[in-house]
Amino acid sequence: MSKKILIIDDEAGFTKLLRMNLERNGDYEVMIENHSVHALKTAQAFQPDLVLLDLVMPGLDGGDVAALFQADPKLKKVPVIMLTALVAHGETSTGSVAQAAGVTVLPKPVEMATLRSCITDILEKS
Amino acid sequence: MSAPEGAKTQRLSSKAKSAPPEQILHDLLAESPSILASIVDNLPVALFVKDADHDFRVVLWNKKQEDITTIPREKALGRTDFHMFSQESAQYFRQVDEAVVRRGKLFEIPEEIISTPGGGDIWLKTTKAPVFDTTRNRTFVIGISEDITPQIRVREQLKELNTHLTLANQQLQETQLQLIQAEKMESVGRLAAGVAHEVKNPLALLLMGVEYLASGITENDPNLPEILTEMRDAIARADRIIRGLVDYSSSRQLSLESHELLPLVENALLLTRHEVRKGNINVEVIFEKDLPPVFIDLAKMEQIFVNLIINAVHAMEGRPRPNLEIYAYATRIPEVERDEGARTARHLRSGDEVVIVEIRDNGSGISEENMQKIFDPFFTTKATGVGTGLGLSVVRKIIELHRGRISLRNRVSGGVAVSLTLKVAPTVQDELDKGPFKKKQ
Ligand SMILES: Nc1ncnc2c1ncn2[C@@H]1O[C@H](COP(=O)(O)OP(=O)(O)OP(=O)(O)O)[C@@H](O)[C@H]1O
Ligand SMILES: [Mg+2]
Repeated sequence: MSKKILIIDDEAGFTKLLRMNLERNGDYEVMIENHSVHALKTAQAFQPDLVLLDLVMPGLDGGDVAALFQADPKLKKVPVIMLTALVAHGETSTGSVAQAAGVTVLPKPVEMATLRSCITDILEKS
Repeated sequence: MSAPEGAKTQRLSSKAKSAPPEQILHDLLAESPSILASIVDNLPVALFVKDADHDFRVVLWNKKQEDITTIPREKALGRTDFHMFSQESAQYFRQVDEAVVRRGKLFEIPEEIISTPGGGDIWLKTTKAPVFDTTRNRTFVIGISEDITPQIRVREQLKELNTHLTLANQQLQETQLQLIQAEKMESVGRLAAGVAHEVKNPLALLLMGVEYLASGITENDPNLPEILTEMRDAIARADRIIRGLVDYSSSRQLSLESHELLPLVENALLLTRHEVRKGNINVEVIFEKDLPPVFIDLAKMEQIFVNLIINAVHAMEGRPRPNLEIYAYATRIPEVERDEGARTARHLRSGDEVVIVEIRDNGSGISEENMQKIFDPFFTTKATGVGTGLGLSVVRKIIELHRGRISLRNRVSGGVAVSLTLKVAPTVQDELDKGPFKKKQ
């Protein structure tokens, strides 16, 4: 059975193309949520194996959403990869993978190869 | 004059009533030579006399002179300055004394410092004059000194204070420069962070598209049209952001000309017709009759109105009976008006003739918290792709370049009113009043 990935990001176009890339080889089943306020409900219904979470969003931001997931007994264990276009310290142009409080952070734009290997790494571990 | 002692005083006082003053003094001195010594001794200024023919030895040294120098008369009389003062001071005094005798003229030393045997330094203002005793053919130097130490002290303190003030002022200026620089850097930093975020998002989408296309596609891949559309949109979006940024940062000179406002507003409404219609918005344009022309850059001002109208349209989305009102009238800046909020206030002076334009909507209004941020570049409450948050910062920038004023307020009845203050175009008479030689500012 293919693993389930939930993308929470307000960038509709980006999420659409990201899903196309992820679903291409039939590896993953992808669900998109463009409105962070619905993120918890969607996640509870979908029960993803991994979450790709945008940091800067209107309404609830990535941090808020992650906190909501932490409070949910079933979602608490689900690994999260944060995607952000924010310029952050320690970010390199090649896209370093930063471990911050158990959350993997990847900078936007991200190459599919980097994202894929990051996803497989995390899914293997869990 | 052989009258007894007791009668003498008696006679003197009776004489005082009738005799002329100079006669009184003459008689007084003749009868009692010691009175002169008493007068000299009790003068409220320091007085000394030196004998020029005998090595400038002191022959007179009054009480005040004793006080000032702390040198008692017994130690002064018959001595030279070299006995009493430091070698350096004495040498200087001697030079002056000799010059006074040689030139036969009065000599003034505005300020001199002497170290007294009593310890402290004192500042003196001394006037020296030659006195020739023609009967005995002798020359004296008479000196009068005034202790100016207190004045000098005050002056020194003032000088010191002034040095402090100059230094403080210098530091203040440096700090101010640093602050200005810091503020510049901060806004550049804020801008850069905003640009990075806004441009990276479309870039992220483009990369996704490229990755998809690069990993081998078939000619009739069903995703193809959608991917290409998204990629085109992303490019347009990045372009829009960069363009807005250029507008924001451009300090290009405006080409200010006299223009009627009404046609300009009508044109802006034409440009936004699509959005206004889509939102089912009722538009009212209320202009005062005979509104004077304003002094503006036509293209930039049109951009302002388009931005403000679009903002109003967005704010009224999904609201009942959306109504947009554009209202304009002429007035003068009141004499006492003080507008702390508007940074541009200094460009407008009280008494200036201006046109006020208000763009009023009955939309969502702006929360207290957001009101502080609306002019920040990239501040937006709108969904990605709808607003970049550059609109109002560009508007303010342009208004500032026009030396006008902009303010936003929540209306009591709900919604927002944006108020623009624009200078009325100068008339021919104004130009003449300026005069041919006055520089335009
Ligand atoms: N008439 C209005 N009523 C309510 N809110 C407003 C109004 N005008 C501006 N705002 C608020 O101010 C914010 C900033 O406005 P601004 O025009 O600078 O950016 P924007 O409209 O979000 O994006 P854009 O760059 O496309 O103009 C808006 O997101 C909105 O929240
Ligand atoms: Mg706007």
